[in-house]
Amino acid sequence: MENKPSQQKPAENTEVNQDELILQQQRRIEKEISESIALVGEKEPLQSLEREYLEDEVYLSKAKTLGQKYSYIRRTRPDGNCFFRAFSYAYLERLIDIKDEFEKFRELALKSKDNLVSLGFPEFTVEDFHDTFMEVIDKVGAGTEASRLELHKLFNEQGYSDYVVVYLRLIASGQLQREADFYQHFIEGDRTVTEFCHQEVEPMYKESDHIHIIAMSAALGTGVQVRYMDRGAGTEATAHDFPEGVPPAVHLLYRPGHYDILYP
Amino acid sequence: MAQPTSSALRALALEYKSLQEEPVEGFRVKLVNEDNMFEWEVAIFGPPDTLYQGGYFKAHMKFPPDYPYSPPSIRFMTKVWHPNVYENGDLCISILHPPVDDPQSGELPCERWNPTQNVRTILLSVISLLNEPNTYSPANVDASVMYRRWRDSKGKDKEYENIIRKQAQAAKTEAEKEGIVVPLTLEDYCIKTRARPAEQQLDMTDFYDDEYELDDDEDDQLSASDYEDGDDSGNGES
Repeated sequence: MENKPSQQKPAENTEVNQDELILQQQRRIEKEISESIALVGEKEPLQSLEREYLEDEVYLSKAKTLGQKYSYIRRTRPDGNCFFRAFSYAYLERLIDIKDEFEKFRELALKSKDNLVSLGFPEFTVEDFHDTFMEVIDKVGAGTEASRLELHKLFNEQGYSDYVVVYLRLIASGQLQREADFYQHFIEGDRTVTEFCHQEVEPMYKESDHIHIIAMSAALGTGVQVRYMDRGAGTEATAHDFPEGVPPAVHLLYRPGHYDILYP
Repeated sequence: MAQPTSSALRALALEYKSLQEEPVEGFRVKLVNEDNMFEWEVAIFGPPDTLYQGGYFKAHMKFPPDYPYSPPSIRFMTKVWHPNVYENGDLCISILHPPVDDPQSGELPCERWNPTQNVRTILLSVISLLNEPNTYSPANVDASVMYRRWRDSKGKDKEYENIIRKQAQAAKTEAEKEGIVVPLTLEDYCIKTRARPAEQQLDMTDFYDDEYELDDDEDDQLSASDYEDGDDSGNGES
């Protein structure tokens, strides 16, 4: 950080702008690809998963064993938000049928805004995300067949769907920051929990890892089971419960880089 | 190119209305073109008791179609000699950068963009950046070097100061041509910019009714009273 002569300044200028342009273009291309896939798809029989892997023994055998435990899969758009979208869709869908769990969750959701504001998020914007989040929750609260359709419709409307994702990201971030002493151990490198949240949790399109899932399930008191399907040994997609020992309310399928919803 | 989403329009309409009702000290915002919510003109009064005192700086803010998931950009239309402003006027400030993890940039990661940032938080960062340039990632290296000489000599080396004051003065003359009186005391700065009548306020109901299908009850929620206030609006200059 010494005083530098400034002769390469013009070059630097264009370089910075060029980099940003390239990044922008890359983002645009990725967006176009992912936008051809529904934000949240229809429920499909699990056999549709097998059909994807007719040529691939490892995956095929895992898809087959998965079929003994699960009947349906619901795919989500691979846009980096898939964990949060899949999780919230699956959980709200479950709550349509379970009145008292719904009420408990609604209470928690209602209070969550003040928690976030007290952590320093700007109230003006948090409130906006929170309002939309509550609106979606209340549509589910009716507990009818119509709620199911409504949920599906809202989750496929970008405006609602993404606002729900943003809000869940904030809740996860809030959880991580409140329990920073604990979560610090899981963060690689010399980033603080707050830095990690700003870089990996709060921004849209950032993919989720174990730590996001742990924070999310802890914040909402919701058990999540993830089935990991990869090239690893064995013929079964390994199950992982978050938090450990809590009966899962939401089942997700993980394939490298992506989460979909599973139904037993 | 992607269509602007209803979220972007909604978020911008909401923010615009809030800023008209309760402006940020030292700033005025309006639309560059009434039909386009995605480009704002921001006028910044130089804070009293700083080098920028008396100045009146104009900038354009451009919002991406996927706002608030991605940040807007800011370009000064008035000449501004500052370590973090490029020659073409583009402002380089970390809050407007997507949160990529590059230790090279020298910016504190905690200031990166996230969807809860908004025009209000951006403007507050801008005013504090004016007075406290970030010399770790200068956009204008000459200005940065000059600024550090001024700072390290405790103001004895006046080259930086003189340029800023001259620019502020020139900007003030421009402002007077437009019939704008730049507040010079802290009192005027706070009062004038706060209690502005909402003369040319846009009729936002148009946006709500026509442009997107979201809730009809939105208008009721827009009373100015429940916005964050106080705690950070005095940032930097109090």
